[in-house]
Amino acid sequence: MGPILLVLGALLLLAGPALLNPYWLRVLASVFMYAVLAQGINIMAGYTGYPAFGNVVFFGLSGYVTGILMVKAGAPFAVAMLAGVALCPLLVLAIGPPLLRLKGHYFAIATLGLNEAVKEVVSNAASLTGGGMGLSLPLPPWGPVEGGAIFYYLFLGAMLISTWGTWEFGRRRIGVACGAIRDNEEKAGAVGLHTTRYKTTAWMISATMTGVVGSINAYRLTYIDPPSVFDLAISVKSFVIFLLGGAGTVLGPIAGAFFVEMLATYTWSKLLNWHLGAMGALIILVVMLAPNGFRDALRRMPSLATLRMRILRRGDFAGKAGQ
Amino acid sequence: MLTLQVILSGILLGGLYACMAIGFSIIWGVTNLINLAHGSMIIIGAYITWMLWTRFGIDPFLLVPVAGAALFAFGYVLYRVLLHRVAVKSLFMTLILTFGLDRVLVNINLQLFSADVRAITLPYASEALELGGIRLPYIRIAVFCVALLLTYLLHLFMNHTRIGDSIRATAQNVRAAKVLGIDTARVYAIAFGIGAAMAGAAGALIAMLYSFTPVTGDSLTMKAFVIVVLGGLGSMHGAIVAGILLGVAENIVSGLIAPGYRDAVSFFLLLLILLVRPRGLFGNRYLADAKI
Repeated sequence: MGPILLVLGALLLLAGPALLNPYWLRVLASVFMYAVLAQGINIMAGYTGYPAFGNVVFFGLSGYVTGILMVKAGAPFAVAMLAGVALCPLLVLAIGPPLLRLKGHYFAIATLGLNEAVKEVVSNAASLTGGGMGLSLPLPPWGPVEGGAIFYYLFLGAMLISTWGTWEFGRRRIGVACGAIRDNEEKAGAVGLHTTRYKTTAWMISATMTGVVGSINAYRLTYIDPPSVFDLAISVKSFVIFLLGGAGTVLGPIAGAFFVEMLATYTWSKLLNWHLGAMGALIILVVMLAPNGFRDALRRMPSLATLRMRILRRGDFAGKAGQ
Repeated sequence: MLTLQVILSGILLGGLYACMAIGFSIIWGVTNLINLAHGSMIIIGAYITWMLWTRFGIDPFLLVPVAGAALFAFGYVLYRVLLHRVAVKSLFMTLILTFGLDRVLVNINLQLFSADVRAITLPYASEALELGGIRLPYIRIAVFCVALLLTYLLHLFMNHTRIGDSIRATAQNVRAAKVLGIDTARVYAIAFGIGAAMAGAAGALIAMLYSFTPVTGDSLTMKAFVIVVLGGLGSMHGAIVAGILLGVAENIVSGLIAPGYRDAVSFFLLLLILLVRPRGLFGNRYLADAKI
C-alpha cells in the first residue's frame, strides 16, 4: 500500500506543470524548497541532536557564490551551482569540528552567530557581492512558462534526492552512529565511535542540502541581497516544518512543508500588513498545539469511538486519551 | 588622543550594554529560556519612553522606572500565559517560540509606531565634559551611571531580599526549592518579569542616545547574548566587564578600522569565546551540559 501511494504521489508531482497554473507552480516550488531545508534540519537536529539554528548561512552562501561566479566570471549556472554547493561542506569541514564541541543552546547560538558573521562579511565586501545593494544574476534563458516548469522540476528533484538521502542516512552506519550521539554522546564516544567525525559528516550533508536549494533559489529570484538570503526566519520556518513533521522521520518534513507553506501563502495573501505577526503567531501555535508533530497531535486526540465509550461510562474524561 | 576618546566612549556605551544583557542573563539563568524577543522588549521600553516624552514632555530619565514597571507587568503576564509551557523543557521550543513572539512584537511595533526612525533629542544633549581634547557628553555619562545603578540595585535585590533568595534557589535546584515550599511557577514568572523590566529600563536609556526603529531589536538580542556568554552566565560583574569590553571593541573597530563592521564585532567575538572559553570570563562552570 505504502509504496503504491508513494509512486502515485510522485507521478502526480511529475505532472505538476501540466496541471497547475504558474502561481501554484511557484507555490509548490517553495514547498519543495522548504522540504529540502527541513530535511537539512532533520539530519542535524532530528537524527544527530544538534540544533543547527543558523543553517540558513549555507542557503545564503551558496546563493551568493553561484551569483558571483555567474556575474563576475560568466560561468554557466550548472558550474556556478556546483561551486556554490561544494563550498558549504568545505565550510563545515573547517568550522564544524570546533563548533560541534558546543552543545544545546550554545551550539544553536553559535550557528546563529556564524550566519550573522557571514552576512556581515557579504554585506561589507561590496566590490564582490554588491553589498547592501544586492546582486543581480543573469536572467535565465527560458521564457516565464518554461522557466516556471524548470524551477519546479529542479526543486522537486532536490526534494526527492534529499528525502532519499535522509532515508539512506537513517539506515546506514552513520545514521545509527548519529542516533547514538543524540541519545548519549559520552557513551557513544566511550564505545569507540569517532563522534566528531560522524557529527561533522552529518552537518556536511545537511549543509550540502541547504546549499543546493540556496543556489537554485538565487537563480530563480535573479536578485539576492544579504537580509533576504541570510534571513533567520528561513531557518526558523524550516525548524517549524521539521517539528510539525515529527523529529527524525523521513517523510515528515515534506508533509510539514506542504502544511506550513500553504498556510503561509494563504495568510500572507490576506494579511499584508500583518504577515510578520501572522508567521510569528503560526509558529507559536505550532509549538503550543503540536510540539511533537502532526502524528503525535492526532494520536493524542481521542477518536469518536473512545469519546462515546467515555460518555457511556459517565464522565470518565480524565482517562488516558486514544489507544 | 582619538584612541583615548574612542575607548572612553566605548566604556560609556558598555555600561548600557551591561544593563541590557543582565535581564537576558537572569531570564536564561533562571528559566532556561534564550529570549530571542529580548531586543524587541528593549525597543518596547524605548517606544514607551519616546511616546510619553513626545506627548507629555516628561524628562526621559524619570521615565526609566516607568518603562521598567510596564515591561515587568508585560513579562510577568507573558510568562504566565505563554512561556511557562515551554520554559525548562525543550531547547528547540524555547528558541522557536521566542522567535515567533519576537516577530509578533516587531509587527505590533510596526503597526503602532510605523517603520519611521524615532529619536529623543533633549535640550541638554549637546553639553559635554571637555578634558584636553576629549569630549564626553554629560548625557552619556548620566546614562552610564544610571545603567550601573540599575545593575547594582538588581544585585542588591537578588542577594538581600526574600524573593531574590527564592529566585536563586530555584535557579540552582528546582526540586529542592519546591520541597522548601517555594512557589516555583511564580518565581519563574517574577524572574522573567525582572528580566523584562531590565530590558525596558535599558530601552528607555537607549532611546535617549540612539535613534531606533521596530527592527533595531534584532542586533540588540545578539549583543545581549554575546555579553552573557562572554561574562559568564549568571555573573553580574561578568556582564559589566563583558559589556564594557564589547562597547570598547565595537568602538575601536568602527572608529579606527572599518565602520561597516560595527555589528559584526559581536558575532566574531561570540564565535571566538565559544571556541576558546565557552564558560565565559567569570563563569564558574560550563552550563551547556547542565542546562540543555
